[in-house]
Amino acid sequence: MAYLIFSITLMLVYIGLAQLLHIQFGMLGIPNFGIVGFWGLGMYSVGVLNVQWDFSFIPALILTLLLVALVANGLGRLILKLEGQAMLCATLAFSAIVALLVITEKWLTEGVVGLGTIKYPFDAGAMTEPLYFLILLLIVVGIQLFINKLHVSRLGTLIFSIRDNEELAASLGKDTVKIKLELFTLTCALMGLLGALSAPLNQFLTPNMLVPSVTFAVWIALILGGKEHSMGAVLGVFITFGLFDLLIESYLPVAPEYAVMVPNFKLFLYGAVLVAVLMYRPRGVLGHSAAGARQELP
Amino acid sequence: MWLIRDSVFIGILQASPLILAAMGFTLIFYLNGFINFAYGESITYGAYFAAMFNVMFGFGFYLSIVPAALLAGALSVATYFLFFQPALKRGVRSTELIILSIGVSFMLRYGLVLFVGAENIYVDEPPIAYFSFLGVGATNLQLVALVLVLVVVFNLYWVVYRTGFGEVVRGLANNKELAMVSGINPHKVSVSVWFLGGVAGGLSGVFSGVFALANPLMGWNLILITVMVSIVAGVGSVKGALVVSIIAGMLTAAVTLVSKPLYAEVILLSSFIGVLWYRGGRLR
Repeated sequence: MAYLIFSITLMLVYIGLAQLLHIQFGMLGIPNFGIVGFWGLGMYSVGVLNVQWDFSFIPALILTLLLVALVANGLGRLILKLEGQAMLCATLAFSAIVALLVITEKWLTEGVVGLGTIKYPFDAGAMTEPLYFLILLLIVVGIQLFINKLHVSRLGTLIFSIRDNEELAASLGKDTVKIKLELFTLTCALMGLLGALSAPLNQFLTPNMLVPSVTFAVWIALILGGKEHSMGAVLGVFITFGLFDLLIESYLPVAPEYAVMVPNFKLFLYGAVLVAVLMYRPRGVLGHSAAGARQELP
Repeated sequence: MWLIRDSVFIGILQASPLILAAMGFTLIFYLNGFINFAYGESITYGAYFAAMFNVMFGFGFYLSIVPAALLAGALSVATYFLFFQPALKRGVRSTELIILSIGVSFMLRYGLVLFVGAENIYVDEPPIAYFSFLGVGATNLQLVALVLVLVVVFNLYWVVYRTGFGEVVRGLANNKELAMVSGINPHKVSVSVWFLGGVAGGLSGVFSGVFALANPLMGWNLILITVMVSIVAGVGSVKGALVVSIIAGMLTAAVTLVSKPLYAEVILLSSFIGVLWYRGGRLR
């Protein structure tokens, strides 16, 4: 039971990350391949503040949000004017830098030894984990409501027009650079928040949590669910994480000698599913967004 | 002074895999206009093919390099026909193509893990001899790798800049219709480029970690820096890829000598973001 709650809480983290990627890529057209960088920065920042410098959880969380927002804003100023592939490479490079610094800066992060233990911000006995799950559920629902509202708002229409033709939107007097930077900063900071909340969930942080597979898992989920649909992120994570990680990895009866291969088989299937979706249904399972501007196939 | 001497020497010795990977990668990137992360698997499979011929079939160490490189080229062509050509035909945009290439990369990498396991595979290598001159040393394998890389680089260079092949690729990359009107067969050129790229990637895998072992993640570990080098050098420039790889190798060696190797990566990655920003994001 405890493991199940841990798993579905972790699933909520992935849903949140995929929702934020939907805003960044599905709506704004920013291909953020540095998700694990922002998420990991948030997680390690809370860990360092909490364990090394004895901050209690809430102040650590607030400082972390500020830090990630600051970093995202700085990176955004450098890269948001670049063309898509360049942004993709730059964000991927950013996440690699975060992972490397976590290993090298041992005085801060304990390096490969690992950093811990990060306790839950409250102690409610046996109810601690379920309560924590509820907090994350509230956050995810909150992000979803924000997305739904964004899709039908004037700002949403402007965002879609930036994605489809930024020059045109700019020529109509909209400050497209500012809008992109603000939304990028906000969404990346929220990725950092999800990372910060993942810290007590994982309790013990090691650098091998910051592998690019985290980024790709989020991308695969969003592409599978439908990057432009407001519910694509949720459905995508339910299919990938829910089906593969929760059901197959935890509950499928597998002989112990094959058990070590299950994660590799999962990653193989992730790749195969992603290829199949992009080849045969490039808009994902849900396809178009019900609301907002529609983009014609190229 | 010793720092400069040592970093130049070590840098050149260790840059071999990167030089090959970047030269092959940049050709494919230039022709099709998207970052092909599945190229990393050409590197990995090159090493595994060499290990297969060496360990399973008992080929001599140097002899197993040849079929390994050819098979890596064939694999690269196969991924083109199975995945990328249909996608390019449908006009899928570059970001989606990159995601597709990551999917292909996952399939190939973890397919390999399912097939042969995740452990390192060690190659029967010839006995190691150590040479030293002017106060710096290298093993016989490192020197052989360097010579082989020089041969491959010279050949690739010759094909691209002296046979007119480079012109053909440039024509096709910039204006497909015009290239076809002037009698270029786009099919043949694409196959050649993907094959040459795959061969270079496979050789890069063989020479990685000079040489000794094959690991499923070796391609992924090299691909990001390969992409960086190609972009900084100017996409499509085989010459530039050669020069920038060597510079990157020397920089890595210099930082490693005075500090930790991981800082070298941090510096390379940060300067990469800086270069992108400075250029305003124009890749080609």
